[in-house]
Amino acid sequence: MFGVVTVSFFLIVTVAEAISSGAILPYNPFQPNFGAANAPPSLTHLFGTDLLGRDMLSRIVTALPIDIGIPIATVLISAAIGIVLGTLAAFFRGWLDEVIMRLTDMFMAFPQMIMSLAIAATLGPSLTNVTLSLIVVWWPPYVRLVRGGVLAVAAEDYVSISRALNSSFLYIVRKDAIPNILPSVLVYATTDVGTALLTLSTLGFLNVGIPPNAPELGVMVSNVTYNLYLYPYQVVIPAVLVAVIVAGFSFLGEGIRESLDVKLRPHILFRSKPVKELGTTGALEKGRVPPSSN
Amino acid sequence: MVSLRDFLPYLGRRIVGAVVVLVGVSLIVFFISHLLNPDPAHLWAGARASASTIAAVRAEYHLGQPWWTQLYYFFQSYFTGNFGTDPQTGKAIISEITFYFPNTLELVIATMILIVVFGVGLGYISGMRFGSAVDKVIRIFYLTCWSSPYYLGGIIAVLVFTSYIPLFPSGGIVSQTLAPINRITGIYVLDAAIDLNGAALVSGLYHLILPATVLALLEFGIIARIMRSSILDARWSTHVKAARAKGLEEGEVRRSHILRNALIDTNTMIAVTFGFLLSGTIVIEEIFAWPGVGYFTYQAIVSANYPVLIPCVLIFTLGVIVANFIADVFYSLLDPRIALGEGGVT
Repeated sequence: MFGVVTVSFFLIVTVAEAISSGAILPYNPFQPNFGAANAPPSLTHLFGTDLLGRDMLSRIVTALPIDIGIPIATVLISAAIGIVLGTLAAFFRGWLDEVIMRLTDMFMAFPQMIMSLAIAATLGPSLTNVTLSLIVVWWPPYVRLVRGGVLAVAAEDYVSISRALNSSFLYIVRKDAIPNILPSVLVYATTDVGTALLTLSTLGFLNVGIPPNAPELGVMVSNVTYNLYLYPYQVVIPAVLVAVIVAGFSFLGEGIRESLDVKLRPHILFRSKPVKELGTTGALEKGRVPPSSN
Repeated sequence: MVSLRDFLPYLGRRIVGAVVVLVGVSLIVFFISHLLNPDPAHLWAGARASASTIAAVRAEYHLGQPWWTQLYYFFQSYFTGNFGTDPQTGKAIISEITFYFPNTLELVIATMILIVVFGVGLGYISGMRFGSAVDKVIRIFYLTCWSSPYYLGGIIAVLVFTSYIPLFPSGGIVSQTLAPINRITGIYVLDAAIDLNGAALVSGLYHLILPATVLALLEFGIIARIMRSSILDARWSTHVKAARAKGLEEGEVRRSHILRNALIDTNTMIAVTFGFLLSGTIVIEEIFAWPGVGYFTYQAIVSANYPVLIPCVLIFTLGVIVANFIADVFYSLLDPRIALGEGGVT
């Protein structure tokens, strides 16, 4: 519940901001106003002002399209790559599977943040480079996830029957593989957006990869860290906001998982009969050919 | 438990796998550092290097030569330990790394201990008391901790525990006023213990507590979550019911059946968390001025110091590979089926 509310709130604000390009902001986030510098949160400036007198709320809202857009883009592209590679690996076992899994293991050995740090530092500061450096380390878990799911599906009878009926590979993928992996991928991806935001803002905090004047929550935190003891709220507010957004996505992910995962529902959890009797894979509900028919 | 006869081949397979991954990873790092940028010497020598410096860097790191020669020298530097000279301090990079590495090792070991204690402990409590208020509180707690970016935890810890409530020192490994101790292993706390230097030991531990606790709190969340869901899966399973039915006492049921099965997934997650932990050391070491490899790497990134950056990235990656290897070994100890047949369990 918390997740849905938080995420939708932030998404709405982000889209509104992106569409209106700043028209909804109370103050100009880029214009210094030294008279009101370092003001604590008050009724006129809801989150206070920073060292140059810029309204924190406006800066934060301006930073949102980057801070929510880039993680979402990263996760979408990584998931797409992962789905493609995972399905290929699982359907066409043999050497393709080996090659893809070895590659995945290698890329998975990199600590995510350190690798994106190094790549972003090498490529130079720009938003595209940051997204690229994130994608490079973000795709491996999806391959594992999808491959596991598709392996389980490929062993089912309805897939063999489908192939015996001469369905094309793409048809099987679309009808059988994708619907079975999509729930777990969706659950993972939702929480992963939060993790991507954490990594992105830490990159910003370390001042790597984000172009100098781009507003970004991590950059905002690092810019004022030296004033930590004097004006703690300037540092704490963007950081806490990052935590809130990440927590929102995590709760959303957990909520999706709990609503999709049959086994965890309490009325099923405490039954005395085993869960299998209540219905197995989605195949039965969706009206496909059951494992043993007639 | 699995017999030695089955375990050793499994160990061998795991080592070969780890070496293969290490080689692959090195190739990727080599590609990114040497080949991605058409003129790396320029980048490596620094922003304001003169032409002669750039030429010297090019000669030292063989950057002008074809890529297979560069690859050869790259791998050669692994074995000779000669990673070149730090362009900013003039010292051999390997000596700087041997200075910084044990400090990170100290931080990482302390943090791992805390992570396992928090994660497994809280996950266990949360799982065994499913649905209760304790469960909810623990879930909110670990989710909040896990959602915080590294710098938030560090900054709040520094604010609250060093300035508002002056309880802990705000940085460094040891108090400045103590005399330096003999450097045996390089790990300060261990050296102080070996030397039987009580004041240094206390000071070292005192400085270790805050960064290790902060890092552990930031990372334990995912472990607690996996532990909790594994315990939930194991609690109501049929073999646990069978164990109780045949008269096994409750404590033994919990240890041998519930806990042991729950630890399987958690173990994998601990290995994964180790990777995040290493990433976190960059920020935490920077905030707490802890002179470790993370701090060194961060300085290298900020000052665009590439000859230093490459071995540092490799060290972190090596750490992840070793952690995965150790996790695989524990996995086979927990679940004997793994060693007996690769792929016996999906």
